[in-house]
Amino acid sequence: MKRIRPILRRFAKNGGPYVILGAVIVAFVAVPFYSTETATDFNVYNALQSVSSLGLLSLAVGLSMIAGEFDLSTVGMYALGGMLAVKFGVDSPVIGVVAALAAGAVIGMVQGGIIAKLGISSVPVTLGGYIALLGLTSVISNGESIAYDNFSPGLWLEKEIFTYFSPRSLIMLGAFAIVAAVLYWTRIGRDLRAVGGDRRAARAAGVRTDRILVGTFMSTAMISALAGALLAYTLATAKPDPGGAPLVFAVTAALLGGVTLAGGKGTAMGIAAGAIALSLLQEIFVIVATPDYVSNLVLGGLLVVVVAFDAPNLRNQLIAVRTRMGRGPATTKTSLRLEREQE
Amino acid sequence: MSGATVGAPEQAAVSRGARKTILLVLQVLVALAAIIVVIGAATTEGFFSVHNLQAILASVGFVGIVAVGMTVIMISGSFVSLSLGTQAAVTAIFFVWALKFGVAQAIVMTVVVGTLLGAIQGYAIGGFGANPIVLTIAAVAVLEGLVVVFSSGGTQTPPDDSYTFLNSTIIGLPVTFFVMIFVVACGEFIMRRTRFGKSTYMVGDNRDAAYSAGFPMAAIGAGVFGLAGAAAAVAGIMLGAYNQGASLLLTGSLTYDAIAATLVGGTLVAGGKGSVWKTLVGAIVIATITDLLLLRGYSEGVQIMVKGLLVITVVIVVHLRSQGTRA
Repeated sequence: MKRIRPILRRFAKNGGPYVILGAVIVAFVAVPFYSTETATDFNVYNALQSVSSLGLLSLAVGLSMIAGEFDLSTVGMYALGGMLAVKFGVDSPVIGVVAALAAGAVIGMVQGGIIAKLGISSVPVTLGGYIALLGLTSVISNGESIAYDNFSPGLWLEKEIFTYFSPRSLIMLGAFAIVAAVLYWTRIGRDLRAVGGDRRAARAAGVRTDRILVGTFMSTAMISALAGALLAYTLATAKPDPGGAPLVFAVTAALLGGVTLAGGKGTAMGIAAGAIALSLLQEIFVIVATPDYVSNLVLGGLLVVVVAFDAPNLRNQLIAVRTRMGRGPATTKTSLRLEREQE
Repeated sequence: MSGATVGAPEQAAVSRGARKTILLVLQVLVALAAIIVVIGAATTEGFFSVHNLQAILASVGFVGIVAVGMTVIMISGSFVSLSLGTQAAVTAIFFVWALKFGVAQAIVMTVVVGTLLGAIQGYAIGGFGANPIVLTIAAVAVLEGLVVVFSSGGTQTPPDDSYTFLNSTIIGLPVTFFVMIFVVACGEFIMRRTRFGKSTYMVGDNRDAAYSAGFPMAAIGAGVFGLAGAAAAVAGIMLGAYNQGASLLLTGSLTYDAIAATLVGGTLVAGGKGSVWKTLVGAIVIATITDLLLLRGYSEGVQIMVKGLLVITVVIVVHLRSQGTRA
């Protein structure tokens, strides 16, 4: 028992995303029990397709959150990436993707440089970046959706592999695997979490915080650009303004995936679990044919719950209430349990 | 960005001298940009006509009203609400629906609803320490969903013409402009002359100290966002009247325009510094540049891009200057 306890405790701390994913999978398989519909293989494929682009966006937003920052410009880069891919990919789709990634690298470096070197909070900088990038996308496209006349990359990206997968979802999973490997096996992962957890201490301990930050913003911009490019090829169009829904998805997925807004916590695998869980949940709504607004409402409500539980003072207040009600001194364990009950 | 202290001053990685140089370069750039704008204005036919100046002031109205709320939020240290534009659209829909009870009643009801919508979010942000950006993103999704539930998502049309006086013009300027001036005056008064306003500045200046000193954080959060919600509701009323109907499409770029006006007005991102009337100046600056680009025949994309770049530049300048005074 003594040996199991640390493992259990670690799971209680970090296993949340996988528990959520498991619960959603159970709900997914159990669809026939609470509706007249059944979940088919195609639904799984479909969920993985929709998470291909949004999952990458979640990874980008999640990475910035692990570093204790928040990159609002990801959605702007998502739009610009798609537009550049369509514009420059007329002859070869690869050149389009490379153009999108290169733009991401440059824009990420500029934003990351400003944030790291001048010590400005990332939110206002990337907010300005978001507005500027949407403007730039609109300049390139004259404010209209641009059609991509080469249909073959889109068809290739959608090709079924092993029933559930496609090149698009495999690219997404590959990107997650690369980021996870880098964060797990190299110093970068530890440094990234140190920068997000306590920047001053990290700097004192010898972490090159500005390099980590610039690298983070370059990665988030490039990943978002890739997500936009993949989406544009699949739909054979690039839209100048993706709206607010992708950001809601990305933030919810990252928070479900165990990333915290305070920074310093989270893994790429957790974000993947959060994103896949969220997209399976959306697919359930599709299967049981709930109107769009209901699923949006549920997603929004879910984000409210998740962010409320991410809030530092709510837990303290709940503990205070329990203590006042005479249930003895509250410990962190009670708060942990409360948190888990909610999940 | 740890919790609510979004803009906590970080020890910068470059030296003070380098920062001074960057600041100088940027200020020269801003001055050059200002000169270009003035020359551009002088050489653009029709810019200095009474009609065009009226158009600029008129276009400031809706954004200016919402920006007053945004400024109060930023001063309190909660950075921004990304839901104010949506709240304006939602309250516009509510206002148009409530017109059947009479105009005066509808106005009062709408402002109350707007205040409540804001106060609920502010309570969670101030009291629980919920992240303001993410919470308000979630609020957008929830509000949009609720609107569709209650109004089936279509355009709400007014039952009669009782509201049309809100669309009239006085000395060539729309009523919205005067409403905005009134809202700015109210905001300025509340922030400067009342205890609540002074507490808001203190909370924004140093949240931890205010918390330790026993400031009622939940109440201040609810008050700040409630005030912003009321401002958004006023904008919603004017929007509903102006468009003779309301739907969620009214949101447009209102949220981001209001944030841009607040930042260009020089409000400190970390909170504690800034003022409502400076935000009005920021809104007018943006409206002037947008108008100039429009007259010069630039596309909407260019206008948006310039706005974004302006925001980044001003944020850096304000940040470096505030660091200069601290050091």
